[in-house]
Amino acid sequence: MKHKVLYLFILPCVVWLLVFCYYPMYGALLAFKDYNYNLGILGSPWVGLQNFREFMRSPEFWIVMKNTVVISGLKIIFGFPAPIILALLLNEIKARKFKRTVQTMSYLPNFVSWVVVVSLMTVIFTPYGGIVNNIRKGFGLDPIFFMGEKAYFYPMVVLSDIWKNAGWGSIIYLSALSGVSQELYEAAMVDGAGHLKCTWHITLPSIKGTIGIMFIFAVGGILNAGFDQILLLQQPANTQISEILDTYVLKTGLNYGRFEYATAIGLFKSVFAFALMALTNKISKKFMEVSIW
Amino acid sequence: MQQGKEVVSIMKKIKESRSRKVFMVFNYIFLALFGFISLYPFWYVLVASLNTGRDFARGGVYFWPREFTLENFAQAFKDTRIFDSLTISVARTLLGVLLGLFFTALVAYALSIKTLPGKTFFTFFFYFTTIFSGGMIPYYMLLRDMGLTKSFWLYIVPTIYNFFNFLLLRTYFDTIPPELRESAQIDGAGEGKVLFRIYLPLSKPVIATLALFIGVGHWNDWFTGAYYQSRVSLYPAATLLQKILSEATASSTIKLGQETNLSAMTSYTSQSLQMAFVMLLTMPIVVVYPFLQKYYVKGVMVGSVKG
Repeated sequence: MKHKVLYLFILPCVVWLLVFCYYPMYGALLAFKDYNYNLGILGSPWVGLQNFREFMRSPEFWIVMKNTVVISGLKIIFGFPAPIILALLLNEIKARKFKRTVQTMSYLPNFVSWVVVVSLMTVIFTPYGGIVNNIRKGFGLDPIFFMGEKAYFYPMVVLSDIWKNAGWGSIIYLSALSGVSQELYEAAMVDGAGHLKCTWHITLPSIKGTIGIMFIFAVGGILNAGFDQILLLQQPANTQISEILDTYVLKTGLNYGRFEYATAIGLFKSVFAFALMALTNKISKKFMEVSIW
Repeated sequence: MQQGKEVVSIMKKIKESRSRKVFMVFNYIFLALFGFISLYPFWYVLVASLNTGRDFARGGVYFWPREFTLENFAQAFKDTRIFDSLTISVARTLLGVLLGLFFTALVAYALSIKTLPGKTFFTFFFYFTTIFSGGMIPYYMLLRDMGLTKSFWLYIVPTIYNFFNFLLLRTYFDTIPPELRESAQIDGAGEGKVLFRIYLPLSKPVIATLALFIGVGHWNDWFTGAYYQSRVSLYPAATLLQKILSEATASSTIKLGQETNLSAMTSYTSQSLQMAFVMLLTMPIVVVYPFLQKYYVKGVMVGSVKG
C-alpha cells in the first residue's frame, strides 16, 4: 500500500481517540442505567430517563441552573465587552513601544493557572493585613472579608475573570483591527468625520464578524460558567450561589459516588449546550451574517 | 457665506482636536493603569516572598521588601512535599511537551497530505470529539479502570492529543509546498525523513507556539491531580497549591493563631512560605512568556485566520 507509513502515523491518534474520547461517550449510557459496579455499564439495568427526571425534580436543579446562567450572564455583560474596549483603546495609541509594553503586561495573567490567581487574590484581599483592606483602613473603613462573604462572590468572579482574560482576549480584536485599511480613515477624515464617527462607522463594522463569532462561543459556553475558577473560589459560605452544573456533577459523582446520576446531569448539560450553540449560530447568521458552521 | 462655513468647520476641527487630546491623555493614563494592575499582584507576592514572614504580617510592605530574606524559598525547597510536587510538574511538562509534539506532528503531517484517502473522515473523527464528550464521570471511570488514577502517566497519556493543537500544526503544514515532499521522495527520502528533516525545521515558529501551549497547560493543570489522582505523593505543584489553599480557607479562623505561634520561633510564616511557593509556580511562566509571545501571537493569528 502506497500510504502505509502515513496511516501508521495516524494510528496512535485513532487508538487514543477511541479510548479517551469515544469510549467515555459509550460510558455516558450510564445516564440511562441504574449502575451496579459488578454488572458493569452494559449489564446494569436500564431505567430510561429516571435519572434525568430525578435531577429536574430536585430542588437543586433550579438553584444550580440559576447560578450557572447568572454567573455566565454577568461574565457576558461585563467580561465580553472588556477585551473589545481594550482593543479599541490600544488601537488609538500611536506610540508603538508604549502599546507593546501594555499589551505584554496585560497578557501575563492569562498564562498563569487559576490556582495562582486565586492565591494572589487571597493575599491581596485578606482582612489580615492584605493591601486592599489596609487601604480601606487608611480611609477609616472597616476591613471586609472579600473572599469569604457571599455578597462579594459575584463581583470577585467577574473582576478576576476580566483581570485574567481581557488582555489576552484583546489580541484577536487587535488583529482584526490591523486589517482595516488606513485609506478608509483618511477618506473619512477628508469628508469631515471625527475620530468618534470613524470608530463608529469604520472600526466597529470592520470587527463585527470577529465580535459575532466570539459572541457565539460565549453564549455556547454559558453552561460552563468558568469551571475551575468557580471551583477554586467556592467556599461553604457561598455554595448557595456558587454551585454550577459542573461543580454539582463533580460533587454528586466523585464525592458522593452517584455515578449514573452525575453522568445524567453531565449529559443534560452537553446536549443543552449544543442546542444553545446551534441556536445562537442560527440567530447570528441571520442578523449579523456570521456563523461558525 | 462660503467663508463663514469654512470658519465654522475650522472651529469644529480645533474643538475636536482639543477633546481628542483630552481623550488621548486619559487613554494613556487608563492603559498604563491597566498594565500596572495586570502586573502588580505578581510583584506584591514576589515582594512578600522575599520579605521575612513575621515582618510582612505587620503590614505596610507594598513595593519593596523591608526585611529582605531568601529564607522562604529555602524553606519551600526543604519542604519535601513542595519539592516533590515541583519535580512532578517539571517532569510532566517536559515529557508532555515532547510526546505531545511528536505525536501531534505525526498525525498533522499525515493529514496534511492532500492525496491521502480518508483524510476528511479522520479529520472529522477527530473534530467530533470537540463538540461532544462523554462527560467527567465516564471519563473518570475509564481512567480508574485503566489504573491511571494511581500513576504518573495520568498526566501524560490522556493529554497527548488535542484537536486545536493538531489544527494549528496542520494548517501550518498546509502552507508548505507539496513539491518539497515530492522531490525529497524522488531522492529516496521516506515519510519520516520528510517530516523531521523538512517539515519540522520549516515550522519552527509554530512548533515554539505549540510547545508553549502544551507546556503552559501542563504546568498550570491542577484539576487532573486534584480530582483524578488518588496518590497524594503524585500531586503536581499546582494541585498541591490548591490543596494548601483550600486547607487555609477551611481553617481561616485558626490560621492567625497558628501564625503567631510559628513566628515566635522562626522568621517565616505559613503565609510567606505559601507566597514563595506561588512564586515558584509563577516564575517559569514569567521568564518564558515574553520571549515566546511573538510566536504565540503569530500562531493564534494563523489558527484564527484559517481555522
